[in-house]
Amino acid sequence: MRKIYTTLTLGALALVVATIPLMAHHAFGAEFDKDAPLRLEGQIVKLEWVNPHSWIHLEIEAEDGSTEVWMVEGGTPNVLLRRGLTRDCLAPGTVLIVDGYQAKDHSLKRANGRDVTFTDGTKMFMGSSGTGAPGDAERLAARQARGRC
Amino acid sequence: MVTCARTPLADSRVFEVQRFGPLMLLAAASMLAVTPSAMEAQQTNERWVMPRTADGHPDLQGSWSNATMTPLVRPPGVGAVLTPDQVAALEGGQQDFIREQLADSDPDRGLPPVGGEFTGNFLFDAGGGAVGGYNFFYIDGGDDIAVFNGEARSSLIVDPTDGRRPPLSEEGRRRTGERFASQRQFGAYDNPENRPLEERCIMSFGSNGGPPMLPNYFYNNNYTIVQTADYVMIMTEMVHDTRIIRLGTPDPLPAHIRPWLGDSWGRWQGDTLVVETTNIHPEQNLAGYPPAAFKPSENIKVTERFTRADEHTINYEFTVDDPSMLSGPFSGELPFKALDGLVYEYACHEGNYALANVLMGARAQEREGVSNQPDTR
Amino acid sequence: MNSRVSRSPRPLLGSAVICALAAAAFLPATVQAQSGSVPRLADGHPDINGIWQALGNAHWDIEPHTARAALAMQPGPVVPVPRQEIVAFGAVGSVPSGNGIVVGGEIPYLPAALTMRNENRENWLDRDPEIKCYLPGVPRANYMPYPFQVFQSESKVFFVYEYAGAVRDIYLVDPGPAQVDTWMGQSVGRWDGDVFVVEAAGFNGSAWLDRSGNHFSASLKVTERYTMTGPDHMLYEATLEDPNTFSRPWTISLPLYRHVAENARLGQFKCVEFVEELMYGHLRKNPVGR
Repeated sequence: MRKIYTTLTLGALALVVATIPLMAHHAFGAEFDKDAPLRLEGQIVKLEWVNPHSWIHLEIEAEDGSTEVWMVEGGTPNVLLRRGLTRDCLAPGTVLIVDGYQAKDHSLKRANGRDVTFTDGTKMFMGSSGTGAPGDAERLAARQARGRC
Repeated sequence: MVTCARTPLADSRVFEVQRFGPLMLLAAASMLAVTPSAMEAQQTNERWVMPRTADGHPDLQGSWSNATMTPLVRPPGVGAVLTPDQVAALEGGQQDFIREQLADSDPDRGLPPVGGEFTGNFLFDAGGGAVGGYNFFYIDGGDDIAVFNGEARSSLIVDPTDGRRPPLSEEGRRRTGERFASQRQFGAYDNPENRPLEERCIMSFGSNGGPPMLPNYFYNNNYTIVQTADYVMIMTEMVHDTRIIRLGTPDPLPAHIRPWLGDSWGRWQGDTLVVETTNIHPEQNLAGYPPAAFKPSENIKVTERFTRADEHTINYEFTVDDPSMLSGPFSGELPFKALDGLVYEYACHEGNYALANVLMGARAQEREGVSNQPDTR
Repeated sequence: MNSRVSRSPRPLLGSAVICALAAAAFLPATVQAQSGSVPRLADGHPDINGIWQALGNAHWDIEPHTARAALAMQPGPVVPVPRQEIVAFGAVGSVPSGNGIVVGGEIPYLPAALTMRNENRENWLDRDPEIKCYLPGVPRANYMPYPFQVFQSESKVFFVYEYAGAVRDIYLVDPGPAQVDTWMGQSVGRWDGDVFVVEAAGFNGSAWLDRSGNHFSASLKVTERYTMTGPDHMLYEATLEDPNTFSRPWTISLPLYRHVAENARLGQFKCVEFVEELMYGHLRKNPVGR
């Protein structure tokens, strides 16, 4: 009962929030091709902690053994900085798995990072974006012990 | 080297004596003229003493956030003030969603579906579209309902009392119609000028800069305030835009000069800073009228009131009055909360791969004779 | 009401001004502010609030230089001539002469960095971040041909630049090293007597020092000194250290002048939209006259 109420009310509030220009946030659909899904697994060669969107450069090994570098789009680093991002997070060579969609211009090796994780499936960043629920602090400490943020 | 008879210390002492006499009277007068809402706040936080700058005015300085879950406009079927159960349900639902988004993924997951997929969270999906944007840990839109003077608010707008914006006036509809007709000659991706201001890195989303300064429900809803004897400076994190509010008798800009965030003049009314702004840029997004229906006319006036309510809160009130565009004024209230952390550089244009990607994508699809995205701005 | 804060103790100004002017006549570049004529805040520090701007041509080239036809040239039949993109500007596109602001005259580049500087000059149109309305970095922001406004209270110091709306929050409490590199760096300020000293680091190395290709890397550290030399003048000095680029630290020095007009105010120069044709014109559905 509580869950339905939550959804209804949250939906109502969200509906109104949505009338604030949706186009306020740039249309991701305009940049990436929803009919060109992909999965990338590769090591970090460069981090661009820039705005409006960050870019992680991953070196991917193609089937023929050659390597190519893909750029994976993320969000604003300012949020991560306030959640504990440091220079030590995500060292070059770290392997990431990305699922997302390729840029509409298929000549570009660029994709959105719809879900970016380590090879064990845990999220690329957690920082202090946890909910404060029991276990969050321990989870974060365990990550930090492995050099993850 | 010439040695002067007067030392800097002697001069500064005289300087202080000259200023502090009248200032003490001003400070005393300010305390007597405290507004009712500030009085309540002071009574509930008995140990808290209003911090003041050297000239006796309340100290509004620091970095602040106006992030919140509370929307600008009141949803249907909800009262102006939410009950504790409603707040718990909304905030709890948000925490559930966050937990879901941060949970581990399947390392052996394959490709996401052709055609895209939505999360079910309307706001997140609005931002990310069918391609899913990026991970939720980049989002910081506010996970709390706005509490203003102890009330959990269902909307930021409080007047009209139904919490809804007044419709456009007849003149407003005419002007908006003309603007839309002019835009319709272009496709949504034809030119950089056809893209939203935020995608071009000219302004922040929605109305962060304003005025009024409203949350964008996504991230970086942060501001830095610096206060001197003659100015109050407010910097918006996105896109490092500043409002330089001159204190004193207004000397307004000529009508044809319309800075993006307008021309602002302020004065202290007791312990409340009152700011009036005119000359807002004709293309500035204000107060989220969809879809960019409300652009400020040359006759707009926005009035804001800043009152420090407690250690962590500035009470922010605003009234938008644009007789050429709107059928009536509207007013709102929201708290600005002390930011835990720094405001960072938002060098948007310098890192704007996205705009080029969008335009290149549109040109590529035209060459291929394909078009698979909604034609939205 | 005057645009600048009148905080100097006027009734006492007579003898103090004479004192200060006499002192100023003997001032070498690095002498401290004279007593009496410098406005102060209630906390006793010099009041550097106001709208400031550099004069001169350091923004073209911070080293001493002669006037020339343009920054970007091409071979001509007799002498080099301005590149095609600049010919139409005529004298408006020409470079005025300048005495330079580098103490000692020349920037002490490492050999590879000097080569890079010269390549930057060859490729000015493509490489100068100012052309694309990118943020100006430090110290270039302080001597751009646009004013900037200093907001100083007892607890905060903040600079707002007219050019591109650049900003610098000068932290009076050190937040620790910057965890990400930025265009404007991270600045930490303190008072050293009557001198406001700012240490800036955490730069991404993408900005330039002027329009003449002078550059630095992400290892740059800048130590600035702001010294009021009178009510309307401030001496600005900045020492640059960057072991990747320069063989030793070096210093620039120039006066900053207060805008004293009654209605002085910072203008708006949000130039991002002005460069859209330059940067994205080729991506239009129907490019303009190419």
